[in-house]
Amino acid sequence: MKSVTLRISRFDPARDTEPHFEEYTVRVNEGARVLHALHAVRDEHDPTLTYRYCCGSGQCGSCAVRVDGKPVLACMEEARDGMTVEPLDLPVLKDLMVDLEPVIAKIARICPAPDAGLPAREEIEAIKPLRDCIECLCCVSACPALQVTDFAGPTVLRQEMRLALDPRDSGDRITDAIEKGLFYCTTCKRCTEVCPKEIDIPGKAIEKLREIANRRGLTLPRHQEVARLIQETGRSVERTQPTFLEQVPEVIEPDGPVRGEVGFFVGCMFNGRVPQTALDAMEVLKRNGIRVIVPHDQVCCGSPLIRTGQTSFVEDLKKKNIEAFARRGIKTVMTICAGCGATLKNDYETPFEVKDVTEVLTEYGIEPPAKLDITATYHDPCHLLRGQGIREQPRTLLREAVREFVEMPSQCCGAGGGVRSGVPEEAKALGAKRDEAVRATGADVVVTVCPFCEFHIADCTDVPVKNLVTILLEGYRKKDAEREGGA
Amino acid sequence: MVLYNAPTNKMHVDEIVDAHVLVVGSGGAGVRAAIEASRYGGVVMVSKTIAGKGGCTTMAEGGYNAVLRDRDSIQVHREDTLKGGAYLNDPALVDALVTEAPERMADLVRWGAVFDVTEDRMVAQRPFGGQRFPRTCYAGDRTGHEMIMTLLDRLDATDTHLYQEVSVVDLVKDENGAVAGAIALDRDGNVILFRSDATVLATGGGTQVYDISTNSAAGTGDGFAMAYRAGAELIDMEMVQFHPTGAVYPYDARGRLVTEAVRGEGGILLNARRERFMERYDPERMELSTRDVVARAIATEVLEGRGTSRGGVYLDVTHLSAETIESRLPVMLEQFLAYGVDIRREPMEVAPTAHHIMGGVRITPECRTTLPGLFACGEVAGGVHGANRLGGNALAETQVFGKRAGEFAGKAPARSGRIDDAAIDERLRMLDGFFEGTVNPADVRKDLKLTMWNQAGIFRNAADLRAALEQIRRLADQRLRAASTANLLECCTVRNMCTTASLIVRCALLRPENRGAHVRRDAGVLTDPATSPFGHTYISLAREGIERREVAA
Repeated sequence: MKSVTLRISRFDPARDTEPHFEEYTVRVNEGARVLHALHAVRDEHDPTLTYRYCCGSGQCGSCAVRVDGKPVLACMEEARDGMTVEPLDLPVLKDLMVDLEPVIAKIARICPAPDAGLPAREEIEAIKPLRDCIECLCCVSACPALQVTDFAGPTVLRQEMRLALDPRDSGDRITDAIEKGLFYCTTCKRCTEVCPKEIDIPGKAIEKLREIANRRGLTLPRHQEVARLIQETGRSVERTQPTFLEQVPEVIEPDGPVRGEVGFFVGCMFNGRVPQTALDAMEVLKRNGIRVIVPHDQVCCGSPLIRTGQTSFVEDLKKKNIEAFARRGIKTVMTICAGCGATLKNDYETPFEVKDVTEVLTEYGIEPPAKLDITATYHDPCHLLRGQGIREQPRTLLREAVREFVEMPSQCCGAGGGVRSGVPEEAKALGAKRDEAVRATGADVVVTVCPFCEFHIADCTDVPVKNLVTILLEGYRKKDAEREGGA
Repeated sequence: MVLYNAPTNKMHVDEIVDAHVLVVGSGGAGVRAAIEASRYGGVVMVSKTIAGKGGCTTMAEGGYNAVLRDRDSIQVHREDTLKGGAYLNDPALVDALVTEAPERMADLVRWGAVFDVTEDRMVAQRPFGGQRFPRTCYAGDRTGHEMIMTLLDRLDATDTHLYQEVSVVDLVKDENGAVAGAIALDRDGNVILFRSDATVLATGGGTQVYDISTNSAAGTGDGFAMAYRAGAELIDMEMVQFHPTGAVYPYDARGRLVTEAVRGEGGILLNARRERFMERYDPERMELSTRDVVARAIATEVLEGRGTSRGGVYLDVTHLSAETIESRLPVMLEQFLAYGVDIRREPMEVAPTAHHIMGGVRITPECRTTLPGLFACGEVAGGVHGANRLGGNALAETQVFGKRAGEFAGKAPARSGRIDDAAIDERLRMLDGFFEGTVNPADVRKDLKLTMWNQAGIFRNAADLRAALEQIRRLADQRLRAASTANLLECCTVRNMCTTASLIVRCALLRPENRGAHVRRDAGVLTDPATSPFGHTYISLAREGIERREVAA
């Protein structure tokens, strides 16, 4: 037995105007789950504590709560001393019990055709990954799009795709899906992160539904424009200034001895819209002994197409890109765009390894820059944090480069998944939430590693937004200036 | 309209709902019954959880038995079921089960269920214990979940009126003694009176009366207790299936089901000395022997000192490919990973756990109970599985008998008798009484569960059973306390648990032989299942005993 102290959000609509926290200390067995701690509170302290539970084994989806802010199944999450237990971010009925029924009611039911037979094996296998949902609504609680739009929720769209894949279903799932907010999803993958069954709703449902919508000509006009641009130019960004590729040779040799070599996948944003940041990155790599090979025949990675379901010529792009790097014998391809990186890692099958710049720099180790005299916070790009599982590396680098680093709760900025172009009012609303979070940190600068996040957050806040490589370069320049000044 | 609100009563009926058919319970059997009954109109379904989240169907992992292949036959399924049930099954119920299981499976497929299928587009089947043909259909190891999701889709297409998180407290009868509905509590403790022409009891099982159980929190035996109090007869309540493989640790997750599919897919059992001990208990069928045999084998290994330090044995699938484990047993993989065990690389530790109550309300093949107006189906009904249930037969039972109960309840005539107001007043007074109580129901529940596990478990004897019965009676006499109206339900639940436990123990005392899951270490008579002179135990408010039967020599 061990002692666990927990804070529980209590709310009785008959008495309270708003929820409040109560703290309890209970004895629980080794390995006890959050649910068992709640049982102990109910049985030993307050029999009126209200929470839902049933199967106790992660199969019924009754007991989802937020523990330290993250939606989890109480019956599967281990109880921790000092934890805070709150209801899901849904209308609270009492204490930890929320109203699940309105969301469950939006989850579509199959409309079987009268002559429906057994699907084929491949059809069943395609449906299965979308069928594990236990309707716990962790994803609905966590989804940022739901905070600012009337998006029906990740699992609701999951079900639309499950039905779209079923030859027995006779419903019009695309029209349904669009009504339920198909284009509101920023593909931030927060839903997958909190899903007890790890269902990849953005990849396996949202993007696939958008593909079907695309085949029916229902892609948003702004997204179609981007697709046209890529098809015509190989790039998702129009040329308005000299591009990165126009400014650099194929091989960029480091200043000192060669410690390593990477191929550089530049990405459309860095190539066409913010080439200076990519040039900054080259300076940082040069300084740290890394040779960079830049195939000039690379094109758009296809991310803007895949995220919006316009996949008809994505295979061509993939082939061109893979050949561009493979032909030069490149073993490691580096990205500095979180979106390109996630796409190359997750949507490509590459004969080379793909690494984000923060992985490359932390693996080789960098020359310490002079610390900039600023307080910086860091915005986790969704496609880096969840798309590539990279959390620590950028923080490690940033801590080396600034006087003070302050954390900010991670949430999608609203730029991804074609939302910035397709549903600008949603992107703006999510950006405003980032602005609030940024200001709450009191930081002088917001640092990130994704050009889309950088661009979008800069639009939404007065606090300067900078790429991590630019910060590192500024640190090196400061170091050099101090040396010269000292000399 | 008379609202039952006598001045001395704080509790009163807040709402009255009229139905042609009232279905109590929202598991596989209840939803199937409601779907069928809805063809006759006026169906109300009462679910004590959010529909789809309660009961054991949702949790059922392994599969659904149905004869689907030419090489298999209804006759063999029938024989397997009878033999597995130690010939205590009601043959007419078994006939219905094995004959209609394939049709009910076809219903599910037609309604959109995502069962695994073979290359040649047939529902895939896996081997399960005690069966001579691999006839267990499955959806990975979340078969029951697949079924319930499909059934709820179908239910949604009917005009069934669904009351969620409303718990029936007791059945209500009319002046003629027919069941006429039920009295229930909603989430906040408001009283709802449901009045119906026919009532289908589909409340599931009740092995939560044991300390170690696979059942969901909803498996508290409410239906057995309510039917008994209403005067229905129950049979074979001593027949409690201990599933051989429940999780052993962590402590709070002990008893959690480790599906038979693990053994169906090739998992082997090893004791602490790494001996494949099933060779000594059933060399022919080994791990895929019937559940009663495997559970006793594991319990014996542990009792005789060959168990692990945690009191279990090993269940090992590490010889299977990671891909097989990931695709066929994903829930198992996920659950064990959550507790730090990767079953692709290390064995599970398992021990028996109370799983299923084979006994229950006595029914005819039309699901009629001994009370007019009351139908029963699913685990709350008795007689289908005899003394031991085959894995995969319970999910089939929910569909076959759910459909039958719904059909015959739907066809029931309108009821004419007046509802017995005095009985309703009595229930309201009982609810009031809980506010005056002194004992925390959680304490009673805990004591009851330990008593049942220690004295009415896998191995039984008369002295222990009598001691258990005495203790249950003491517990049932405790004056339970409700801290709020919302807590009334917990008092009612614990009351039901005490009743169900006493039915199990009383029937266990009535059966002097060893039969299937029922093992009396002090058995006075040695019987062979096929020729045993004993039939069902039976128990009701009016009588109790054990049937004798003529067996051809």
